[in-house]
Amino acid sequence: MSSSSNTRASSRVERKPTTDTGSGQGKPRASAQQDRSRNERSDSRATQSPQPSTSGTSHRRTASGTQRTNRGVEERRTERVHVSTRETLTKRTRSPERRTAPSSHPVERPRPAEPSRTYSEDPRPKSKVEAPEVPWLPEVSLIPHTSAPLASRISIPPLASQAPQALQPKPLHELSLEVQEAAILEDLLMVFMGYEGQYIRFSKTYNPSVEKDRLAGPGYKILPGLDPSLQDLTTTMLKMATHYGAIEAFVEVQSREEFGAVNHALCAAIRKLLQDYLILVAQLETQFLTNPAFTLHVLNLHTLPTSHMMFQVYSLAHAILKRNSLLEEDLEDSDDGLDDIENILETLREEGELGPGNIPGKKICKGGSVLGLITKRLETMSGDPAARSLLTSLLRDASRPYMMMLNEWLHHGSIKDPHAEFLVREQKSIRRERLEEDYTDEYWERRYTIRDHDVPPQLEGVKDKVLLAGKYLNVVRECGGVDVSKDVTDVPRSFDDNRFLDNVNSAYAHANESLLQLLLTTHALPARLRSLKHYFFLDRSDFFSSFLELGNSELSKPVKKVNTSKLQSLLDIVLRQPGSVAAQDPFKEDIKIEMNEVSLTNSLTRVVNISGIEQGESLQTPATAQTSNESDKAAIGFTSLQLDYSVPFPVSLVISRKTVWRYQALFRYLLSLRYLENQLLTSWQTHNRAASWSHKSSNKETELLKRRVFTLRARMLVFVQQLLYFCTAEVIEPNWQALMARLNAKEDGKGGPSPVRTVDELMQDHVDFLDTCLKECMLTNSRLLRVHSKLMQTCTLFASYTGHLSRELERTDPDLAGVEKPAHMNQSQWARYQTHRSQRQGDSASNPPGGEDARLEKMWEIVKKCEFHFSRHLQILLDSLNHYAATETVVLLGLCARLSTANQGTQYSGLKADGDAAVQA
Amino acid sequence: MPREIITVQAGQCGNSIGSQFWPQLCQEHGISQDGNLEDFATEGGDRKDVFFYQSDDTRYIPRAILIDLEPRVLNGIQTGPYKNIYNPENFFVGKNGVGAANNWGDGYQTGELVHEEVMEMIDREADGSDSLEGFMMLHSIAGGTGSGLGSFLLERLNDRFPKKIIQTYSVFPDTQNDNVVVHPYNSLLSMRRLTQNADSVVVLDNGALSRIAADRLHVQEPSFQQTNQLVSTVMSASTTPLRYPGYMHNDLVSIVASLIPTPRCHFLMTSYTPFTGANVEQAKTVRKTTVLDVMRRLLQPKNRMVSTIPGKKSCYISILNVIQGDVDPTDVHKSLLRIRERKLATFIPWGPASIQVALTKKSPYIPMNHRVSGLMLANHTSIATLFKRIVRHYDTMRKRNAFMEGYKKTAPFADNLNEFDEAKEVVTDLIAEYEAAENADYLNPEGDQAAGEAGDKRVTNLKMSNQQQSKADLIAERQSNLPLPEDPPVASDWNSADARTVNVSSGERQSDISTGDASSTGLREPATKGSGVRQEGGADLSGVGRQGKEGLDGLPKDAKK
Repeated sequence: MSSSSNTRASSRVERKPTTDTGSGQGKPRASAQQDRSRNERSDSRATQSPQPSTSGTSHRRTASGTQRTNRGVEERRTERVHVSTRETLTKRTRSPERRTAPSSHPVERPRPAEPSRTYSEDPRPKSKVEAPEVPWLPEVSLIPHTSAPLASRISIPPLASQAPQALQPKPLHELSLEVQEAAILEDLLMVFMGYEGQYIRFSKTYNPSVEKDRLAGPGYKILPGLDPSLQDLTTTMLKMATHYGAIEAFVEVQSREEFGAVNHALCAAIRKLLQDYLILVAQLETQFLTNPAFTLHVLNLHTLPTSHMMFQVYSLAHAILKRNSLLEEDLEDSDDGLDDIENILETLREEGELGPGNIPGKKICKGGSVLGLITKRLETMSGDPAARSLLTSLLRDASRPYMMMLNEWLHHGSIKDPHAEFLVREQKSIRRERLEEDYTDEYWERRYTIRDHDVPPQLEGVKDKVLLAGKYLNVVRECGGVDVSKDVTDVPRSFDDNRFLDNVNSAYAHANESLLQLLLTTHALPARLRSLKHYFFLDRSDFFSSFLELGNSELSKPVKKVNTSKLQSLLDIVLRQPGSVAAQDPFKEDIKIEMNEVSLTNSLTRVVNISGIEQGESLQTPATAQTSNESDKAAIGFTSLQLDYSVPFPVSLVISRKTVWRYQALFRYLLSLRYLENQLLTSWQTHNRAASWSHKSSNKETELLKRRVFTLRARMLVFVQQLLYFCTAEVIEPNWQALMARLNAKEDGKGGPSPVRTVDELMQDHVDFLDTCLKECMLTNSRLLRVHSKLMQTCTLFASYTGHLSRELERTDPDLAGVEKPAHMNQSQWARYQTHRSQRQGDSASNPPGGEDARLEKMWEIVKKCEFHFSRHLQILLDSLNHYAATETVVLLGLCARLSTANQGTQYSGLKADGDAAVQA
Repeated sequence: MPREIITVQAGQCGNSIGSQFWPQLCQEHGISQDGNLEDFATEGGDRKDVFFYQSDDTRYIPRAILIDLEPRVLNGIQTGPYKNIYNPENFFVGKNGVGAANNWGDGYQTGELVHEEVMEMIDREADGSDSLEGFMMLHSIAGGTGSGLGSFLLERLNDRFPKKIIQTYSVFPDTQNDNVVVHPYNSLLSMRRLTQNADSVVVLDNGALSRIAADRLHVQEPSFQQTNQLVSTVMSASTTPLRYPGYMHNDLVSIVASLIPTPRCHFLMTSYTPFTGANVEQAKTVRKTTVLDVMRRLLQPKNRMVSTIPGKKSCYISILNVIQGDVDPTDVHKSLLRIRERKLATFIPWGPASIQVALTKKSPYIPMNHRVSGLMLANHTSIATLFKRIVRHYDTMRKRNAFMEGYKKTAPFADNLNEFDEAKEVVTDLIAEYEAAENADYLNPEGDQAAGEAGDKRVTNLKMSNQQQSKADLIAERQSNLPLPEDPPVASDWNSADARTVNVSSGERQSDISTGDASSTGLREPATKGSGVRQEGGADLSGVGRQGKEGLDGLPKDAKK
């Protein structure tokens, strides 16, 4: 038995005839007839009884073997013709032989060389449906290739139950017990290989042409009349045959292309088991032919362990099929409703990544879930050593392709996953070229995702690491920063390897380190961030001040008329000035000037309203939107100026568009403050220099007015400068330092703040940093935004009144209007003032000379109005700052303390109790 | 493209300060004695081009114009270790080299003579800069050249560059013992130009400087070199925001504008801490510097570089603290709150009262013992007392027409002495302006009558406190050498609009403790025991204080000789 080889099993058919012919009984067999065979069988039965005592194998073989083969002869005669014409089919033509078809199909005949693909479907229905009327013409033919390499390529043989009456065997009850046993043994050997025997037939419900039936496994029924004890034994063994049939069908189906590499590997492994099984059958047959002591009991004993194994494989296959919903379709249809929608959506999303043969809406169990099923069974069967070792080996084999993908992903960052079975899904449609306009971090977030339902349990715990590792490596590879082409050796090849988790962890660590290294060192992320800080936060604002000065005329124009390219060239000039920070910055080329016609407050308000930070605010959105459009028309260069920063690929993952937007918002905010500061400084200069302001007037009223103007200006200046100080020194800088500390802690190793460990953390930190800055600069709160913008407007208005007030002052001040030099002036000052005045004589002449008192009155009005608005809004701002400091952002307390002094000396200098409490808290 | 500043050094004093200032800047920027960049000066981040420009051979040359009518100091510079950094064309020495003989008129009229030559230099420098921000003038107002020629230059600069900022570092005479007899005349005349033609004046007082130098450096008789070192330290510190640009305050305007709310009140006083004497071993003590500590010290009167006599109502108009070094912004915030809580600084009741802070880097090339150092630029109303002193001295001298002859010989006074009277009026107005600013009703005087009365009262009050305060000042000085006693926290009313609740309460508390309002300094420090001087002073004001003690009623002692 042990001497039998694989080839023997696979070429049973060929061998049989040869052995038969070798025994010199070919002729009689060829000419044998049915009745004769019956006779012979009865003979054999008769002769069998003395044989057990004889020991010579050859002798026994001739004795019992002859009869048995003789019995098959009459069925096999025509079959042999077929075999000779189609060598390739020989091993598969076993069952037709059995079914004793003397003639072949007439249509088939003309082209035996080319098996009829077109007719592949024909013979089966014909033979089934027409069998009763049509003469018994068993015929098999080649069927076309399916995508499953292991699939049977021969059409299904006709069923024995439809064979003509003439071919039906002699009823069992007519046979003696010995003959019954022999017949049943013979039949069982057939049935073990998936064919019908003489007395053991497929059950009526089984239709071999229906895939579902085949997958469920054929049921067998024994023809009536068998001895009860024999029948019991046979029935138990028939289960194995059922399993075999089912498993074979399973292998056939699951090795189709769309089921993916893991299923293929599993099928291959199962096929190996089936081969062993067939060898066993062959050996049993040898026993049966040579060993007279071979009884049904012996057969049963021999097959017991195998039967167990087959059962395990079968139940595994069954589970997989169930998951595949290839079984029990009707039952699951109703339940699947929801899943189906998802599946269809997924199919649509995956844009034909699934094979065309796939039924849309059908969940295919592949990849990770197959592995998961095996593992689950392994767990449930862990008490059964045989099943365990079987399933373990199956798992090992099945996980091999998966591990290859995993290793490829872990160590090279690429996915070779034609069947979409890996736990990471790649969406090729999201390309990195689109990062430029990617405001949602789509590339990073969506390009690679985890198939949550397809994660094998072994990877469940580390799936995020797996995803990140590959993602990181992917980036590294795309940048060519790290050599990933070299083969990684010494990695586990299957799931049950001990180093499996170590492998994932080390790969993750390596990938993470590579990408961090790539970002931080090769692509100089810290330097990038620093340069962003220079440009967007103006931490060394000297270059920007001079840019504002140079571009003053251009920036004062309405936004539509601003010449952006001119500004760009001005900026370039400024950036290239030696001595400025920007001059040493390698990234200064990346900075671009832009005009954003939507004012900062409006764009921020929109964002705030969308995110719905405050309820009730959103109700007013339409109103604010309308007003916003109006005010946007008044936008000038200064209020619309914004910078853009182009970032090359790997860094753009961290400095993505959505972070750049935040940078821009902060920049525009700082710019607006700075612009206002500049305006106020200009008016300070006017106040300090212009004779009308700086000289001491003899008119008390005028002098008082001046004082009021000065004080208001000082107040505004304090407000703006304190705000600017707060935003820079107390918000941006500390947060920035914290971010940098986290970045650098990595390099230092231990100590200090917890270091950035992963790139995702780094990205998160970066976004958090910006969000904190936005929040603490009061840019995320629509109420604060509104108050703030009102304050800014008041200040701007006041600053723009400076010129008007100066002119009015000149006219109203009796000292200046006169011809004589006022007492407090220098000779030179007076002279200068007079020339100045005479130059402007034309203008003033055109103005209607109003009463001086009236003019003065008007000026008072303006100043008082400004004072009132400023103080009131500042008070509102302080109150709300206090409120928000208590409820949300504690940092605002500092600003509150700073700004509270700006209102000192006005009727609004309230806030005493609250402010004090807040400050001391 | 940076906002350049041209430095004009006039007179002996100005040039002496300059001769300390430039080497200090060079060291801070890592510029060697011949003007080349040192090898180690690679860190960058500083703007050398605010004060320097590069020659064709990339040497750094100061934007400085050195003017003196006598050659001694300039010769010293031209032979000193840093002689090579200056542009030799920027030296101007009076033709006959006799100087201005401590006569303002002399200096002024020489200015008229040489003005073309000097203005030519200034024009050249101004044309050489891309966006000139302004001028910095270093001079003393007591002598002849610095005050006379300086005044002349101020007028001309103002005329020529009406849009540029003019900041002066003016050394005021030590009113008690200045070696220039006629310093009240010179000072008064210069004061007028400083008031009318400068945008901001950093007042440095020779008396205070030598006191601080003596205190800090532990030398009995500090040399001019040592006091000048103090001045140059202050100057370099006040320009660090420009030279090491940060988020804010990187041009002169933004620094100055926040300090000077009303145009005429632009006289700033300074304090600096901690001083280190580079040459004196004893001064190299290392102590722990925190932001709070630094800020507190800055507010102490003994650290002020001006000898003023703060009155009961004296208060800060504005404060800008330039904090150098490695500073955590939250520390700054805490310190500000603490200072406010303790009412360490009293502010004007009518305007924005805030201590602004500018955080700047330190020069990376100079090792510092201290982690944090600070400079305070403050606009304080008590500066008026300094002017008053000048006016008083002037009055006493003018009454007797002492030394008038020298002035009458010069051009500005050839016709009449109106110049004197006009100058005095300007200064008196200035003093009045400062005093008005101390009142809560600065913006809203309630009717003329009340204002008049209040004014009268105030004048008398001031007279009283003036003399008594000098004693209080002494006390404050003593105390500031002791560790400050911790005040019990008081419910603060820091942003009250009502002066009565802010100022008066402090006064009340003080008078409860002390024997009279002599001790009401406006600063919360416990009074020491009563002294004979004060008691006496209470009885007879004329004999107390400096005036009584030093016999200032009559002619100055050197005038009597």
